[in-house]
Amino acid sequence: MNSAAEVSSPRRGTQSFRRRLIGLIAVGEVGVLAAMALLIAFFWLLEPAFLSERNIRAILNVVSFVGIIAIGQTILLVAGEFDLSVGSVAGLSAVVAAKLMTAAALPVTVGILGGIGVGALIGLLNGLIVVRLGIPAFIQTLGMLFIGQGLIQSVTGGYPVYPLPEAINTIGGTDLAFGLGWSFAFFIIAAVAADFVLRRTVLGRNIYATGGNKEVAHLVGINTNACKIGAFITVGALSAIAGMFVMADLGSGGTSIGSGWELTVIAGVVVGGVSLFGGAGTVAGGVVGILMLKVVQSGLVVIGVNSNWQQIAVGVIMVMAVGLDIVRRRYFIAGA
Amino acid sequence: MSTNQAPLFSATAIAKNFGGVQALRGVDFDVVSGEIHALLGQNGAGKSTLVKILNGVHPAGSYTGTIQLDGQPVSFASPADARSNGVGYVPQEIEVLEQLSVAENVFAGRTGLGDGVLVHQRKLEQRAAEIFADLGIDIDPRAYVASLPSAQRHLVMIARAIVMKPRVLMLDEPTASLSGTEVDALFAVLRRLKAQGVAMIYITHRLPEVLAICDRATVLRDGQVAVRIAREDFDAETFIFSMSGQRLQRLFPEHAAPVGTPTALEVRRLSVDGHGGAVHGARDINLSVAAGEIVGLAGLLGSGRSEILHGIYGRVLSEGEIHVGGKEVSIKSPADARAAGIALLTEDRKRDGLLFNLPVGANITIGNLAPLSRRGVVRGGLERNAIVAAMRALNVKASSPRASVTHLSGGNQQKLLFARVLMRAPKVLLLDEPTKGVDAATRHEIYRLVVELADKGVSLLIVASELEELIGLCDRCLVVADGRIVDEFGRGEGGEDRVLRSVTAAQAERQAQVSA
Ligand SMILES: Nc1ncnc2c1ncn2[C@@H]1O[C@H](COP(=O)(O)OP(=O)(O)OP(=O)(O)O)[C@@H](O)[C@H]1O
Ligand SMILES: [Mg+2]
Repeated sequence: MNSAAEVSSPRRGTQSFRRRLIGLIAVGEVGVLAAMALLIAFFWLLEPAFLSERNIRAILNVVSFVGIIAIGQTILLVAGEFDLSVGSVAGLSAVVAAKLMTAAALPVTVGILGGIGVGALIGLLNGLIVVRLGIPAFIQTLGMLFIGQGLIQSVTGGYPVYPLPEAINTIGGTDLAFGLGWSFAFFIIAAVAADFVLRRTVLGRNIYATGGNKEVAHLVGINTNACKIGAFITVGALSAIAGMFVMADLGSGGTSIGSGWELTVIAGVVVGGVSLFGGAGTVAGGVVGILMLKVVQSGLVVIGVNSNWQQIAVGVIMVMAVGLDIVRRRYFIAGA
Repeated sequence: MSTNQAPLFSATAIAKNFGGVQALRGVDFDVVSGEIHALLGQNGAGKSTLVKILNGVHPAGSYTGTIQLDGQPVSFASPADARSNGVGYVPQEIEVLEQLSVAENVFAGRTGLGDGVLVHQRKLEQRAAEIFADLGIDIDPRAYVASLPSAQRHLVMIARAIVMKPRVLMLDEPTASLSGTEVDALFAVLRRLKAQGVAMIYITHRLPEVLAICDRATVLRDGQVAVRIAREDFDAETFIFSMSGQRLQRLFPEHAAPVGTPTALEVRRLSVDGHGGAVHGARDINLSVAAGEIVGLAGLLGSGRSEILHGIYGRVLSEGEIHVGGKEVSIKSPADARAAGIALLTEDRKRDGLLFNLPVGANITIGNLAPLSRRGVVRGGLERNAIVAAMRALNVKASSPRASVTHLSGGNQQKLLFARVLMRAPKVLLLDEPTKGVDAATRHEIYRLVVELADKGVSLLIVASELEELIGLCDRCLVVADGRIVDEFGRGEGGEDRVLRSVTAAQAERQAQVSA
């Protein structure tokens, strides 16, 4: 009895180490971070200018815009739905806010609140239709993508809204540190807050349950409809905020703000280990995923790869990331 | 049974390791043609793992040991591979294609049923209907599986395995959600297959079934063969002792119906709509449960027992009045029911119970986080303690609270769900098949738990398909047939025959009404 225990103890030591290692790898973000570190080293070796201050700033700046949306999209994916209209909502909110400030001559704060209101309202609409009428999110939000594009054109008549009040240009031009402005600060704060909500709060746990199995969540007394609609509203509002930050950055309410973002955002968060099937993923993962996507895009530009190949690379990375994720789940988490 | 007959299907020195958990450690096992070989053991003993290996769910290469079919070594890369070699399998957990019809499910994975790639819908339905008639099952082959309750889904899976005309058939707890008549029908089929020379491996926790139908038994314990028992030596006590190493005391713990306690749950004129298919709903249900009383709902599959529980819990819309603790409550959703102190343990673990995206611990606390949090933030330490306490109280065996629920054995999953339901200390507890898939020793733990809860004043309303269990455990039984309560009797006032008699009488009466 005694000797058996002695024999097994060193084995248990290595086993627990192995288990901890597996646990670490099983945390989605770690894998993406490692992959990103490798990619950064790779681009830097080929072209040291990749890690120049200017380039880093450029990457972080872009990430701050799409990243804000990625936060919302991650929450929504965890809740078991997704939103393809985020780009349109960002653009529409920006031009509505711009019109309120210029054509309607309303105060800047009213314009901004109006923009957020538009985003939240579209989120609410998406949520209500998906949850109450049972129309798949894919269809509803794809429809909203087109509706949003149309509304952008009809609000602006096809011309960028310009010039904007001075306050907006100030918001866009502020340099808080390292050449990064308010959008980056907002992005970081929102990401930390959202990550905390998902990881540590009752609400977060309820969102995971809703995305994991709606029926079970309902049976344990969770208001799953509220969780889903709330997540849709969050994405809408965050998209609006991102759109307005771009507007401030550009200094005009451009009609192309947000166009094409929906796929970038989904690709990014999926790379970061957020499951398309709901119930799995973290905000940290989603944000790191989108960062990695932007690192690759920028790296390819910096080392001078033809732009067609950049698109191909993004596609390959996304599929690979999801493939790796499936393998990781099967071998590390399942332990089979 | 001539045990010196050469085995049709055999496994030698099977060992299987799941990332550190040694599920099987060198198991030898065989079945001969025309034999029903019981595979017994406690929850987590490795029964399902063994049949999954024999059936290619765990493919060749993921385990050590050899498998022989007809004396030839075989290795299966997948269940489809096993199937094409004549090895059929009914898994423990329900695996159906929700979006397809019953007939399509029965023939899923089969080819050659139509012209080329097209499928003859009509032919499928006809063939499925014939098989169901054979099995003595009343399921419409055209119904969508999504609309079926779990027992009927299980029957669909059994039919799916049987239409393959396998030479070897493995059934992993096929009767866990079936009631008496369906079990009898299934046994008739198994006997027929046996006469045709099919070799069968039969996993169950219901020992009377082993006595009734099996020819030989192998008991697994901690991944090893503890003992092999020939039919001559069958005896419930021997089984239990070899599975758990414990002697069983009394089958059902003593419990006297409470006298003079107030009514805790009262249901008046409750009606629940059936939602098509085999779910007929329930009509005009009046029942009451006193504080500390254990009441059972007896009846056949599809009689509306579960619907009554679902109606009370607000899972489905219902009409009528529900009073809890003397006050009428309006229950429109499970959240309302929970607020009123009602809890429900659902029948189908996979579909309505577990959250596979959350680990063991979070599965227990989900829905119960309010007292474990402050201002909406979960307090990690409190939660961890609550989880550990709950796991210990119910003896949930998992490597850690952070382990995945996917790989818990069926019985441990059930105990986990019990832990979830009990965490809020409900006043009224609705249990739908509480001992489904639970081993004999744990079953007694659950009986004891039920009685203990009743002694503390909790009111229990239980649906169980094993009549013996229901009658042994409950202070009072209500017999449900066709969505109505047709009979009622107290402890000692009737047995299984009384339930069957009232059900038959009710059906006859209904028949008469219909034809009149
Ligand atoms: N895929 C898996 N990954 C990790 N562990 C597993 C896996 N499948 C089974 N196990 C573990 O192997 C052991 C045996 O499980 P198995 O499902 O074979 O038990 P069982 O005898 O069928 O129990 P039950 O009566 O509860 O169904 C358990 O400890 C279980 O947790
Ligand atoms: Mg099992």
